Amino acid sequence: MGGIARRKLQSVTYYDHEKAFNGYTFFAPFWEQTRAYLIDMKGRIVNYWQLPGRVGEITLILPNGNILYPLRLEIEGSPIFTGFCGCKLLEVDWDGNVVWEYVDNFQHHAIQQLENGNRMLMRIVATPFEIARTVKGGQHLTEDNGNMWSCALKEVNPKGAVIWEWFAYKHLDPEVDTICPLEYRSEWTHGNSIEELKNGDILTCFRYPSQVIIIDKITGEIKWKWGKGEVFHPHNPTMLKNGNILLFDNGVHRHDSYLDYSRCIEVNPKTNKIEWEYKGTPPTEFYSSVAGSCQRLQNGNTLVCETTKGRIFEVTQEKEIVWEYIIPFYAPGISGWGDFNLGHNNYAHRAYRYGPDFSGFKDKDMDPDRFKAINDIYVQQAFKMEEK
Amino acid sequence: MNNRARTIITGTAFCSPSETHPGLTLISPLCSKEIFLINLLGDIIHNWKIPYRPASYPELLPNGNILYVARIDNGPLSNFEGAGGKIIEMDKNSKIVWEHDDPYLHHACYRLGNSNTLVLKWVKVPQSIAEKVKGGLSPKEENCIMWGDAIQEISSSGELIWEWQAHDYLDSEGDSICPICSRLEWTHITSMDILENNNILLNCMRTNNIIVVNKKTKIIEKRWGKQELSHPNGANVLKKGNFLIFDTGRHCGGEGQGFSRALELDPNTNKMVWSYEEDPPVFLYSCFLGNCQRLPNNNTLICEGTTGRILEVNQRGHMVWEYVIPDYYDSNIWGKNRYIFGAKRYGLDYVGLRNFYDLKKNWILWDDRGNGDIGQSEKKPEQKTQSMEDLIRSRLEPLGY
Repeated sequence: MGGIARRKLQSVTYYDHEKAFNGYTFFAPFWEQTRAYLIDMKGRIVNYWQLPGRVGEITLILPNGNILYPLRLEIEGSPIFTGFCGCKLLEVDWDGNVVWEYVDNFQHHAIQQLENGNRMLMRIVATPFEIARTVKGGQHLTEDNGNMWSCALKEVNPKGAVIWEWFAYKHLDPEVDTICPLEYRSEWTHGNSIEELKNGDILTCFRYPSQVIIIDKITGEIKWKWGKGEVFHPHNPTMLKNGNILLFDNGVHRHDSYLDYSRCIEVNPKTNKIEWEYKGTPPTEFYSSVAGSCQRLQNGNTLVCETTKGRIFEVTQEKEIVWEYIIPFYAPGISGWGDFNLGHNNYAHRAYRYGPDFSGFKDKDMDPDRFKAINDIYVQQAFKMEEK
Repeated sequence: MNNRARTIITGTAFCSPSETHPGLTLISPLCSKEIFLINLLGDIIHNWKIPYRPASYPELLPNGNILYVARIDNGPLSNFEGAGGKIIEMDKNSKIVWEHDDPYLHHACYRLGNSNTLVLKWVKVPQSIAEKVKGGLSPKEENCIMWGDAIQEISSSGELIWEWQAHDYLDSEGDSICPICSRLEWTHITSMDILENNNILLNCMRTNNIIVVNKKTKIIEKRWGKQELSHPNGANVLKKGNFLIFDTGRHCGGEGQGFSRALELDPNTNKMVWSYEEDPPVFLYSCFLGNCQRLPNNNTLICEGTTGRILEVNQRGHMVWEYVIPDYYDSNIWGKNRYIFGAKRYGLDYVGLRNFYDLKKNWILWDDRGNGDIGQSEKKPEQKTQSMEDLIRSRLEPLGY
């Protein structure tokens, strides 16, 4: 729902002190905005990072309290369309100083900090023609000047040396991992996330073939693959303590219903059965056609980011909403990819919640009154709406 | 309630009285057994109690009755979206004055000038034709029937006057099914309208196009929309002959996905001469349902079905009125919702409103336009709306509005 009515909604609209996982929420509106925010449960800003450029897509807060973010580069002749990929990957400290950088003209979507201190990025590479022509699906003759791009992963150490690489086209099956029939053949995979598992394996997710994948870090082989026909254009899978995988099923081009709706699901990788699911009521009330995230919190609740609504909310295992926030920060105007205008949007790719004991908050100044002027505008009125 | 934020918004959220087209809006939430006539403030002026929930949205006839397709229980195809089964005409006191039964009726009906009624129903596509139809996903069950559409003209005594079966005239290649819709249905027509020359404009959702059928020869004279429309709804013809369409945007590939739009097509040139998208575009989205209507002052009323939101925009794309259905209704399939298929505004001079209004009084009110212009401000919408509502009320209440 849009229009004037919805723009009245700002900041925290609901907060149940008892049931919510109390802490701080981190998000960074992407594409045209240049700030990352950390807010408390009442929606008050406790820190923001004024970044040196536009946010590429996914932004993370690191265990030392710094943030890792892809500064979006506008590279002429960038594959597919200008601005889709290419970034200067920056680590920025609590006060906004750049402490590390790495440039990759083909990075897109995901970045990840690994246990060993290295960083992994998702990149785009050309699929060899003899493989590309065997890939099924997609709209006929929609390659990018005959080229089909696909995803690759690259691990770099703090000095910028490449440690490990993985190419999707070497391991995916062109007959099985087919492109969604409605998408262009300019891209095979459109990957969007990287998660490192305890044993070092990589959990990732490819949007166009709707497949969630675990990659063996040592051999590069795909150890587990699931999703086709079950989820549609998914995002952000993460491994839970119970061994299940939590992910955001966007539901774009869903063909098992006449409704478009998103859901958060927990799938058991041993049985491939869905063991938990959150949907909106009615289903269409929760829908993001792009991006989206879900994070399992320590008390069992799940923090969800519904990107295209600028809405971040927390649900319990019993699917009750206990905290809800509407991002009040809108992009300045024309934004998006190439000729496509995303408008004055309040999209954030992901949201993360951390408890007050999170290592990155240690010895940091988190007094919301540092930002009193801006907090007064957005928070105090809105917060009177509903509080339990 | 599942979605806290949006439940906070109810009723009229915005109104610029000097720019709206003055009149009453007919609304029929899909899971409600009442149909409402509301004014610009969202006050209910009249309501009808209906025996069955609507399959789409009703029409207020010039005689002051309402005509709608009712969704009967346990119909043969009741699991299909838009299933009906009965057409009901009802007077002001909710008394049924005419009805027509056919379990395969769905979505729309249209009352003609000669008092006959055009009805829309599902018919089986002969297998020899069905197997040639391109596109769509095969259902899991084998030997499934493909359902197509037929239009019938029914006299007031229920006699069949004229019939047109879509599968006899469609092109199995050109009118292919959306690649990710099931082959259980071919066209999924959701609305009908009549052109000046009596030809029929049909909105085919699953083939992503609109077609014009010659009433005499039954031939499809025009088709448009492939590569441009994605699951359109509610195509209707305007006074100057252009078509107005609500393009839901569902199952759209590439960059156009995730939002709906209203668009006006010049059928002579096949050029889009007007369109409305929200800013950002995804803030207007209804994956099914939805309609749009051009008003006499050139504004356009748009119904975003799945959020229960109805908006009026002017020719420049500025919103002048916005309303959200204030109540939620129960449904076994969807849960509590405020889904609505479509809405229609009737001007205060509409003859069918005579029994509901003292027209003279209201014309005096609206002739006074201009003084109440508050305009549209993005900066402090809350304050503006508040003062505007007070203003409208102060002007309307003495008149018994």
